[in-house]
Amino acid sequence: MSGYPLLAVEDLTMHYQTRAGEVCAVDGVSLSLERGQSLGLVGESGCGKSSLALALLRLQPENAQILRGKVLLDGVDLVSLSEEEMRTYRWNRIAMVFQSAMNALDPVYRVGDQIIEALEQHSNAARQDMVDRVGELYKLVNLSPNFIQRYPHEYSGGMKQRAIIAMALACEPDLIIADEPTTALDVIVQDHILREFGNIRKELNMSMLYISHDMAVIAEVSDVVAVMYAGKIVEYGTAEEVFNKPIHPYTRALMSAFPSVTGEKHELATLGGEPPNPLDLPSGCHFHPRCPFATDMCAEQEPPTVRRGDHWADCWNPPED
Amino acid sequence: MARYLISRTLQILLTLFAFICIVYFIVNAQPGDISNVYAMNPELPPDARERLQSQFGLNEPLWKQFLVYVRNVFTGSFGVSFSFYPRTVADVIAERLPRTVALFFTATVFSFYLGFLLGKIIAWKRGGWTEYATTIGGVTLYTVFTPWFALMMIWLFAFKAGWFPIGKFLDPVLWRDAPIEANTLFGRMMLTALALSIIVFVVFVITTRLRIGGARLIQLGSIVVSIGIMLGAWRLTGHGHLAWDIVKHMVLPVFTLTLISFAGTMLLTRNSMLETMREDFVLAARAKGLPEKAVRDKHVARNALLPVVTSLVFSLAFAVDGGVIIESVFSWPGMGQTLVSAAVAEDLPLAVGAFVFVGIFVLLAHLAVDVIYVFLDPRIRY
Ligand SMILES: Nc1ncnc2c1ncn2[C@@H]1O[C@H](COP(=O)(O)OP(=O)(O)O)[C@@H](O)[C@H]1O
Ligand code: SF4
Ligand SMILES: [Mg+2]
Repeated sequence: MSGYPLLAVEDLTMHYQTRAGEVCAVDGVSLSLERGQSLGLVGESGCGKSSLALALLRLQPENAQILRGKVLLDGVDLVSLSEEEMRTYRWNRIAMVFQSAMNALDPVYRVGDQIIEALEQHSNAARQDMVDRVGELYKLVNLSPNFIQRYPHEYSGGMKQRAIIAMALACEPDLIIADEPTTALDVIVQDHILREFGNIRKELNMSMLYISHDMAVIAEVSDVVAVMYAGKIVEYGTAEEVFNKPIHPYTRALMSAFPSVTGEKHELATLGGEPPNPLDLPSGCHFHPRCPFATDMCAEQEPPTVRRGDHWADCWNPPED
Repeated sequence: MARYLISRTLQILLTLFAFICIVYFIVNAQPGDISNVYAMNPELPPDARERLQSQFGLNEPLWKQFLVYVRNVFTGSFGVSFSFYPRTVADVIAERLPRTVALFFTATVFSFYLGFLLGKIIAWKRGGWTEYATTIGGVTLYTVFTPWFALMMIWLFAFKAGWFPIGKFLDPVLWRDAPIEANTLFGRMMLTALALSIIVFVVFVITTRLRIGGARLIQLGSIVVSIGIMLGAWRLTGHGHLAWDIVKHMVLPVFTLTLISFAGTMLLTRNSMLETMREDFVLAARAKGLPEKAVRDKHVARNALLPVVTSLVFSLAFAVDGGVIIESVFSWPGMGQTLVSAAVAEDLPLAVGAFVFVGIFVLLAHLAVDVIYVFLDPRIRY
């Protein structure tokens, strides 16, 4: 096929217009993701993860604006497509499992019909084929076919989650974006569904963008990790590199909040302080008010990119390799 | 569902009984009775007045009168009307109620449809001049002084333009040698309308359930064909022109009622839409690649409809009190007018009866909305 990666985001920048001023929720983000790979996007709540996910599908709210940048899917820039063309990419090529999956099903329609609605939108198959497909999908995500004809309120939380995963898989998309898909569930159910979802995804050779604030979850599901802070990607690399040799102090702080990931104790204290006010971002490195390694330079100028192979981070004072 | 309907029916009967008691005593608490109407008549000697009172049983203690009234309610006659003597209250109301129900039911359907449609549109395209124009126009009509507005409508469309008759239920000249009673004919018209709506409803349900291609075309076709058949049938009866006369008399009051009441539904729909648009399933619908129109109609409007339907019950109360004014201005001989004339004539049984039937109507409409809700919201099960 083509020499393009499946997904390449270049310098994507999105602002929210608010009464208090402009919020730069996605600030010059660049990423790339190969077919079949899984990218974990991690960062504290409010750092712009969901905004980035929505911008990829061009589903940002009305007060948001994509100022510049590209979202290349197989080399096609989604940002420059017409709304009509964009619709053919949604769900068919990029599907999404939402942050609050519990409410992502319309309460007045049967769940099976909602999946068929997505299929109808992107294929001309006969209705019976679509019904059969829903049956297959239910089997795939371990749901009883009896529930196809039921309404969302008749599902438990875990079942809704499975139904939504089934819906995301329906059109066999190239990329699934999962935005903190399991936060509303209890830990055991969450873990179970997560594993199953990961296996299905690998079997079908789909790529995934997995979003979470939880390093432990990211460690479990990602091949590649991107760490986000205040709208920017501050560190990027393979899961192995990022978890074994983190460069950015923010990444290290996030990891020390979850010592189980690497097993060893970290010298860093858990992350103190609050994420910055998006209306009034700190100068230089946005992380400097909370960073234990901050120097005067950090407050004055934006940090340079430190590269160690494909693994990189933006920091003035990276640890020795 | 059956159990729910039974318990609701019992509940309605109890409410109705309490309602009858309260209305009866409130209406009787006002001073005077039918004999007052003759009090100014110097030719009526005092003993004749007393005879009149005792004939109607008005000299009995109130509790005894009440017991007699309750008996009359249970026998279904609701007593004898004083001003329409010797007709029973039930008889008078049986003649008047259908006219009011027809008028207000039609107006409610139109204003609900119009209000919902406009509310949907202004919620979707916010900030444009359409939103301001529609909102300001709607609210102005909603809050306008009703009698003045109704008179203006008559002046404009009936008097100046001459498109519609000026008030009343029918044209007496046309009906002088009519071979059929106006009420009988009106009853048949209502049956026709009922049959028509049932047919259309069934066609809609079948076409959407079976997901046949071209459902829109079939629906439209079935509406046109059944209206055609109905019109043809009316022509054959030879009473078509008489029915048409009644329809012509209905148009202006229905139009007026629709205009003064649609904004309530419109603003509610708008708010409900704005609320629903924030839901995650709407974002999910967009993410699925659905076109904006499908997102708006299939998901947002469909869910926004639920609270708006609930409000329909409350707007019924508005219909009842607006009814007195509209019927008076349009000389529409329905329940509103009956109530006013009964009050003026001190016809206590008829006044109480009119209130009671309005009460029954509202309670039944309430029940109907509850039943409709079961079909609209799968989460509701009785
Ligand atoms: N519709 C919006 N209007 C204005 N600001 C928004 C809107 N949505 C999110 N934000 C702001 O953008 C920033 C990023 O939010 P979000 O993308 O939801 O972060 P995350 O998913 O990482 O928790 C936050 O500061 C949030 O307050
Ligand atoms: S640039 Fe400075 S403040 Fe920012 S993370 Fe590196 S050391 Fe900390
Ligand atoms: Mg989020």
